[in-house]
Amino acid sequence: MNQILSKSPAPSDGPVIPNPKFQVRNLNFYYGTAHALHDISLDIAERKVTTFIGPSGCGKTTLIRCFNRIYELHPGHRASGEILMDGTNLLSKSQDVHALRAKVGMVFQKPTPFPMSVYDNIAFGVRLYERLSRTRMDDRVEWALKKSALWEEVKDKLLESGTRLSGGQQQRLCIARAIAIRPEVLLLDEPASALDPHSSLKIEALITELKADYTIILVTHNMQQAARVSDFAAFLFMGDLIEYKDIDTLLTNPSSPKTDAYITGRYG
Amino acid sequence: MSQAPGDPPPRPSSAWIRYRRIKSAIGWFLAGTALVALSVAMVQILLYVFLQGFHSLAPKLFVENTVGVGGGLKNAILGTALLSGSAVILSALIGVAAGLYLSEFGEGRLGTLTRFLSDVLVGVPSIVLGFVGYVTLTVWLRWRFSLAAGAITLAVLMLPYIVRSTELALRRVASGIRESAYALGCRDHQVVFKVLLKAAAPGIGTGILLALAISAGETAPLLYTAGWSNYSWSGHLIHEPVAYLTYVIWSFIGEPFHSAHALAYVAAFLITFMILLINLLARFLIASSPHSNR
Repeated sequence: MNQILSKSPAPSDGPVIPNPKFQVRNLNFYYGTAHALHDISLDIAERKVTTFIGPSGCGKTTLIRCFNRIYELHPGHRASGEILMDGTNLLSKSQDVHALRAKVGMVFQKPTPFPMSVYDNIAFGVRLYERLSRTRMDDRVEWALKKSALWEEVKDKLLESGTRLSGGQQQRLCIARAIAIRPEVLLLDEPASALDPHSSLKIEALITELKADYTIILVTHNMQQAARVSDFAAFLFMGDLIEYKDIDTLLTNPSSPKTDAYITGRYG
Repeated sequence: MSQAPGDPPPRPSSAWIRYRRIKSAIGWFLAGTALVALSVAMVQILLYVFLQGFHSLAPKLFVENTVGVGGGLKNAILGTALLSGSAVILSALIGVAAGLYLSEFGEGRLGTLTRFLSDVLVGVPSIVLGFVGYVTLTVWLRWRFSLAAGAITLAVLMLPYIVRSTELALRRVASGIRESAYALGCRDHQVVFKVLLKAAAPGIGTGILLALAISAGETAPLLYTAGWSNYSWSGHLIHEPVAYLTYVIWSFIGEPFHSAHALAYVAAFLITFMILLINLLARFLIASSPHSNR
């Protein structure tokens, strides 16, 4: 581990993170010829919430989509550099992308329940990796739904279509679906931005709960939300990592005038 | 129009509002006329077919074969069901696969070419398809007039509709659903077969049903390939001509006999009724789809 750390020294201006889950090094990202991320280097702490903030188009969603290589679905989207997860570069060709995605779950901005029952929405992902008996699958579904604070609301309609739930419930179903396959990391790309304030708060409470077990990377454009749930925050601006700190320092004592301008609401 | 900065923009003048009202009234008038013209034509056709057909309808038509220009329609009803049924199965297998390819992997040159050819196929007159079927299947392969020749020709006719509607139905599945499936670690085939096809099923089903409706009403491709038979189909894929309802309409209406006319009207009634039913079923499918608006 020390050997790896010495190979990849932490960026000098970031927070000190012992045993980081991810080490991003010189990450560049291209949409065709457009250069969307410039030389990003940062460490992500294990079992903490790390939030990417910044104005629209700053690259925060682009960055989070690198951690499970979901960008590869789109021709012309390309990343260079390294993202080490527990010491291995997940961007390398030899990395099995399916194994990676089993360890790094993702929830998107709009809820995306599959067109199947609540139960099957969760069992679907589990079946990709494990062959469970009926009772053990039932247990797993219940566990995931409890973990995502949805069980009480859906325990009597497990066989109804997941698309019939409310928006907030759908999003928690997506979180349940992601954690049911027991990942180590959760990527949350603006998970509450399409929801009403009440559902949004439920998701935030859930994020705080989940960080005991998972490394969470969050993208949000909501500063209050970032302040409430994050441990660390990175401010991105036009594809550059401007500032990366623990959340309190970033909010109260930003060192860059750009960060200051953004968090005080002068643009964004 | 001088306007101090900060002033609200001026309200529209009453002349402008009157102009817009007139424009709107003209638009409503034109749309209304179009609606009336269309529905009068359609109601007239439906009424005529239903009245003429309904009063010649008799139970014996469903149990007797055609004899000369009289008798029943059992052979033709059975033939239409067989021809369209086997054609839709053939066409759906190929068409859904092609639509899937176009939607998921069809960005390249092969996809563009396939899309282009499929569009060209829509524009080929059905009589030309029938002639091609005749030259290749009926004559060259020596299948003669037969169920296989007719069904394959009909399948080609339906193919572009199924390809296009499948592609569109799959594309309409929210990209988030596709990405979510991949984000769980699904492989391509798992995404396609376990998630996308399920999500797009109502749209794909609707496309198949509409293609079926189109094929059921076709005459021209079958004249050259299925022929006509006064007997019910006896189980041979080739070398045995098949009767079908649209032939009865096309051919018997020109005969100078009352019995022939009666059969033609009943055939028209049955075909129209069947197509109406298929269309209603397709509508129902669309309406019941939970993903219809995503």
